[in-house]
Amino acid sequence: MATDTEVDLTPRLKTDEMLINMGPQHPATHGVLRLILTLDGEIVRHTEPILGHLHRAQEWQGQNRTWFQYQALIDRVDYLSGMFTSWAMARAAEVVDGCEVPERAEYLRVMVSEMNRITSHLLWLGTYLIDLGAMFGFPFYPFREREKLLELFEEIAGQRMMFNYIRIGGVMRNPKDAWLSKLKKFTEEFPDRVDEYEAIVTENPIFLKRTKGIGILRKELGMDYGITGPSIRASGVDIDLRRTKPYSVYPKLKFDVPVNDRDGDTFDRYIFRIREMRQSNEIIKQCLDMLPQGEISGKKQIAGLRVKAGEGFAAVESPRGTLGCYIISNGSDRAYRIKWRNPSFCNLSILPELLKNHPIADVMAIFGSIDVILPDVDR
Amino acid sequence: MSETPAAKPPEEPKGPGLCGQFLKDHGIATNRLADSCGVETIEIDGAHLEAAMKLLRGSSEIKLDYLVAVSGVDSADTFDSVYQLWSYTNNNELIIKVRVKKTDVVEGQLPLVPSLSRFWSAANWHERETYDLVGIRYYGHPYLRRILNVWDWDGHPLRRDYKQLVDSLNDKAPGSFR
Repeated sequence: MATDTEVDLTPRLKTDEMLINMGPQHPATHGVLRLILTLDGEIVRHTEPILGHLHRAQEWQGQNRTWFQYQALIDRVDYLSGMFTSWAMARAAEVVDGCEVPERAEYLRVMVSEMNRITSHLLWLGTYLIDLGAMFGFPFYPFREREKLLELFEEIAGQRMMFNYIRIGGVMRNPKDAWLSKLKKFTEEFPDRVDEYEAIVTENPIFLKRTKGIGILRKELGMDYGITGPSIRASGVDIDLRRTKPYSVYPKLKFDVPVNDRDGDTFDRYIFRIREMRQSNEIIKQCLDMLPQGEISGKKQIAGLRVKAGEGFAAVESPRGTLGCYIISNGSDRAYRIKWRNPSFCNLSILPELLKNHPIADVMAIFGSIDVILPDVDR
Repeated sequence: MSETPAAKPPEEPKGPGLCGQFLKDHGIATNRLADSCGVETIEIDGAHLEAAMKLLRGSSEIKLDYLVAVSGVDSADTFDSVYQLWSYTNNNELIIKVRVKKTDVVEGQLPLVPSLSRFWSAANWHERETYDLVGIRYYGHPYLRRILNVWDWDGHPLRRDYKQLVDSLNDKAPGSFR
């Protein structure tokens, strides 16, 4: 056996950089994300995200399933805000097809989507506190309200999370009067519930220490990476498709889009989501008051559903940002090409920049604050 | 599935749009295609892509500083790299297509399109994804590696001629990629 006399066997402190694998089965990665971290002591110098653990070939499925089958599948692209993925594809198919959507259907779409925005932000709020180590049961507060909304979803769409409610040309089902009055009751009590969360979280000294000044997202950097949604609005970029590229009946509704006046940190991203939930609640209230009577679908919902030949891109403002869908149709019963533009995918690409030179304990605080959902990244 | 998109309706002769005119003024030739749902769509030669993108992004009047998506399309006889451009500050929109003829692609190699990721970070992951799924090689990309499929996956799934081995995920099957 060869012996290496060159090796220095005296014990010494290792100071070279260290590679660490975080995930894919990490409880705080909201799905399965693997991060390869290069650490200098406990400071993160370099991050490489490895994606694809949840890749389900959604774009391939789009080319190989009929429109009618695929509609039922796309809620899974982002399972926390399925209404928005359905709506993005429905809008893209509608602009290509040129079919009219009845006004009642548009109001119902706005209503259920804003409910979905609230459930998505509520789940984010609960899990984010766990990401930060608050294991004391705070998540049950937001989940209490989320449960009420999920029950309403179940009533109107038959499913709690995979709704398949928004269809090409309209929506699936008319709500009953009892449903509307239950929703009205919810909107009346919801602002008080948000006050409750804020009373626990917003001025909590531990929460502030974990979030203030951490993971500052510079405005220019965010625009370079194509970041959208509350994450970039908390850094002072005024982009919200509901207002900047208005669609559906949003121009008729009154609501604020909170925009920060400086580069936002992790805390700002929290507080802007809270403000967004209050605005969504206002939108639902207005929709309930303005909901007109009439048809709910401009296209027959049959298995042989077709979209006219053409191509087009349409996007909606999802809880995470611009959710777009690019469709090329050749007039047959299935798409020639469907491309998803997912906000989580684009927002996640900035993570290596945000983590740079932060201690490893802040990794999950920063990652959680950009609100990424992994099925939406990997589709 | 193997059908190609139906022939487009005959194009009415159209002058260059806002962005096409802007690029023409700066000496970059573009070819206007039929608008896709009211959005100006231009075709541009791959060699001029980088210069055109820098101009469109930097100019204060056009300011297309938001790269929404880069998609790859396997069309009838071309590979298209499609860029959706928006703006964070105004309402301009533009779709740029770079087309590589299938007859120009060297046998056994991938179509080549210049990468934008050296000066636009948003393009980085989109180009990796398009490389992975459609098989367009973006030259000049700092780290062109598969992103959604595993690194040793065989072929590009969104190609029209892609055939997946029936048992490709079973590592005991003889034809498996593992």
